Amino acid sequence: MTAPLPNPGKKYDLDFARWVYDNVNGGDKMALCMQCGVCSGSCPIGTNMDHGPRKLFMMIRAGMQEAVMTSNTPANCTSCYRCVVRCPRSVPVTYILQDLLAKQAELGYRAKDSNENIAFAKSFWWSARAFGRTDERLVTAKYYWSFGPAEFWKRSMENLKIALGFIKKGRMHIGMPHSVKDKKGLKAILDKAREIESRG
Amino acid sequence: MTETATPTKPKKPGVYVCKGCGIGEAVDADALANVAKSEFRIQTTATQDACCSDEGVAAIKADVDAGTVDGVVVAACSHRVMADRFRFNGTPVVRANLREHVAWSQPPGEEDTEMLAADQVRMAITQVQLTLPPLPSQVQEYSRTLLVLGGGITGMTAAREAVKAGHPVILVEKTDQLGGWANKWAGRMPYRPPYRDVQDSGIAKLVEAVKADKDIDVKLDTRVVKTAGQPGAFTVTLSHGGQESVVNVGAVVVATGFRPYDATKLGHLGYGASPDIVTGVELEAMLKAGGELKRKSDGKPVKHIAFVQCAGSRDPDHLPYCSSVCCGVSIKQALQITKADAKASAYIVYEELRTPGTAEEFYRQAQEAGVIFMKGKATKVDAGAMQVSYTDELLGTEVPLAGLDMIVLATGMVPNSTDPDVPVVEPEKSEAQLKGDINPFSAIPVAGYKPGGAEGPTPPAMPHLDRIPEGGPILNLQYRQGPHIPVLADGFSDSHYICFPYETRRTGIYTAGPVRRPMDMAESAEDAAGAVMKAIQAIQGSKMGVSLHPRVGDLSFPKVGHEKCTKCRRCTVECPFGAIDEDETGRPIINPARCRRCGTCMGACPVQTITFDNYNPQMVNAMIEANEIPDEFSEKPRILVLACENDAYPALDMAGINREKWSPYVRTIPVRCLGSVTLQWVSTALQKGYDGIMLMGCKSGDDYQCHFVKGSAIAKERMSKVGETLKSLALEKERVTMAEVSIADSHRVPKVLNEFAELIGGLDPNPMKGF
Repeated sequence: MTAPLPNPGKKYDLDFARWVYDNVNGGDKMALCMQCGVCSGSCPIGTNMDHGPRKLFMMIRAGMQEAVMTSNTPANCTSCYRCVVRCPRSVPVTYILQDLLAKQAELGYRAKDSNENIAFAKSFWWSARAFGRTDERLVTAKYYWSFGPAEFWKRSMENLKIALGFIKKGRMHIGMPHSVKDKKGLKAILDKAREIESRG
Repeated sequence: MTETATPTKPKKPGVYVCKGCGIGEAVDADALANVAKSEFRIQTTATQDACCSDEGVAAIKADVDAGTVDGVVVAACSHRVMADRFRFNGTPVVRANLREHVAWSQPPGEEDTEMLAADQVRMAITQVQLTLPPLPSQVQEYSRTLLVLGGGITGMTAAREAVKAGHPVILVEKTDQLGGWANKWAGRMPYRPPYRDVQDSGIAKLVEAVKADKDIDVKLDTRVVKTAGQPGAFTVTLSHGGQESVVNVGAVVVATGFRPYDATKLGHLGYGASPDIVTGVELEAMLKAGGELKRKSDGKPVKHIAFVQCAGSRDPDHLPYCSSVCCGVSIKQALQITKADAKASAYIVYEELRTPGTAEEFYRQAQEAGVIFMKGKATKVDAGAMQVSYTDELLGTEVPLAGLDMIVLATGMVPNSTDPDVPVVEPEKSEAQLKGDINPFSAIPVAGYKPGGAEGPTPPAMPHLDRIPEGGPILNLQYRQGPHIPVLADGFSDSHYICFPYETRRTGIYTAGPVRRPMDMAESAEDAAGAVMKAIQAIQGSKMGVSLHPRVGDLSFPKVGHEKCTKCRRCTVECPFGAIDEDETGRPIINPARCRRCGTCMGACPVQTITFDNYNPQMVNAMIEANEIPDEFSEKPRILVLACENDAYPALDMAGINREKWSPYVRTIPVRCLGSVTLQWVSTALQKGYDGIMLMGCKSGDDYQCHFVKGSAIAKERMSKVGETLKSLALEKERVTMAEVSIADSHRVPKVLNEFAELIGGLDPNPMKGF
């Protein structure tokens, strides 16, 4: 269980940086960040973030608790690890963002199901669990469906041309989804992983 | 020359022309020997394949030993090389530079090249004929004892180092205990590998060692009342509880350290508005006291603390400079607080964090320990809300750090180049000395000069001149030029910080530690060792009657022809080292051991009666006149370059080594310093028919490069008066100019010369030619 924020509700809090250092996975290493910005520069998704990792880290130091806990930066991270590979100070940026995302959700700053990325993750994991593979059509369909029928129709139609192009070039197959051989075994692995994760 | 004979000027010099290193291909060596023979009636001339070879040196030596020559002209390479080869038992040796300045920088075989080579030989023969082998200044009663002023880490280290080198020390400390500021420090920045943790200051051990040393005479509660004399023989009057005593010392190391910047001037950063806004020095004392760090106001433990860096530093309204240690100190304090209490948050608000060298390791250690570094300028400190607002440069926004328990202002260092506890003596004179010294543009108020007059340059406004630390003189020197050790901008004691960092402008007196520049304990200790070595050299030098830096080992010293002296006092005022005093009638008295042999006095003397045995106005005058000046129809102008031999001449040599070409019309005479250039040389050259004159020397100003500190600045000042002379001769102003050259300028120097040659070529020939 995560330690609660020392002074929740404050916009700026002098204790926030310490709290992140002590409670977020990899936070102690974040103290070594020298603000070079290689992480933000390397981030393939950086333009979609409200702040890059560099700036988010500086905001943490500045005690900007409210802004950090509502930032979409952690949620947008695709875990490509480019930042981790390139960081000259060996700051595990990806871990920090992942755990910050969890803390945002846990401490109620982000409703658990409110985020598009979470909806996508759910679709992804449904497919992965069911077939051991990600089936583009089903994952996309399920993801679009989570926004309701009207949105589903709208987004599907927008992407129809791309989908047809894929099929024409043999990039997307028609028919039953592919699946792995030992689906039972895979489920057991995933269950075990979940169990380990829930132990904290 | 034998030991007993009175030295005389050479009557029968020998001239040896070298053909090596390309000289033989560039010029006709036999013709040059002929110049010596026919024009100067030199009996002994020779050409050699290489003068510096064993055979060449042996041949010259044979002539000297046989007594056929009593002075030697070696027409070969620059005098800056092979000096040790051409040394013949004190016989005057002059070198005509045919290699760097002729063979390597001029096209071979041309008429102009031959003319230049011949002039080089003419100047060298003239010079040697007027050279008197110098005898050392009279060896005086000298003391081997060092006086060290200040009992802090610098002073104590200096004392220990001096004793190790075999010199007894008198260590004077004005308070009642040794240790200085270090007594108040709660540890020091790491100075040993792995440079990561706060280390013990070690001051107690050092104090014990100093007290136990029988060669160190520690004088506590003691002050210097006055200091007189010169290196090797200073007489220092000390006062202890009203009792005065006089000690004789050979040299002085001033380690008076620093005082923290007066924080009461930092009202805009909240100092004084709350007891919880403290300076770094105050926090250090709280940390030293030990125990949990508590607020002064209500005794609550300090959980959130912010350090405001550059409090009053790098600020044009306060200290314009960086004190270099405050960043390290704040890191140390924040680390100590963070390590003592894992829950504490220590914020360091900085603009640029300066952690040179191994301090970078220490910085990293603090980051690892969780000290929080914020980059931005503190804009406001609110004592009520205990809030530091700063503009975060990495976020681009204003960030409030509110509800802090304590705010620390990292204040800078002010040098103790004056003593704050001593009243200012003769305030106006004292200020004039300090300010006049630092302002390189200040007019010198003596006879013959018009400070601020119509012709004189207006001194530019220099705001930093107001930042001289308040207080009286620390040594109270009984010198003609005043009681202070001169300071440079910002009040640190003046030294040639690139080449001779420990030298002050008072020979035999060396500053070490933060009085010289801001520095930490490790640097101060190192500085102390350096200054002591210099002080020991000063004692040795005075014993042998030789000069110190930069003319190390020079035996010559200025002599005043009292029968001609008009008592105008220019020499006593202009000497950059305060070497000249006055007797009661106003006659100059030279203290040879204080003198650095730059010749600034010689350049100052309006009647040219200050001379060195081997360098004087008459000699250079004759050298200028020795050159052949072609008539005005030949279209061969002549340009005289008086080149400072510290930087400009080596740069020219280097240009020659790089085979850079420059105008063949240039005739170069090395001078000890531009300060030694007397205006008489300029007028002689103009009357002789030179078309242009260039003074080539070091940079002046408060970032001067002049090896004699004020020499090039004084030359600049004098040159500003040369316009009148030119006007009276109906000549163009552009004919006389000055060029600033550094030793690294070898590629620029030929361009400077060529541009000037082009300018002179564009003017009509000097109408004085042939008169």
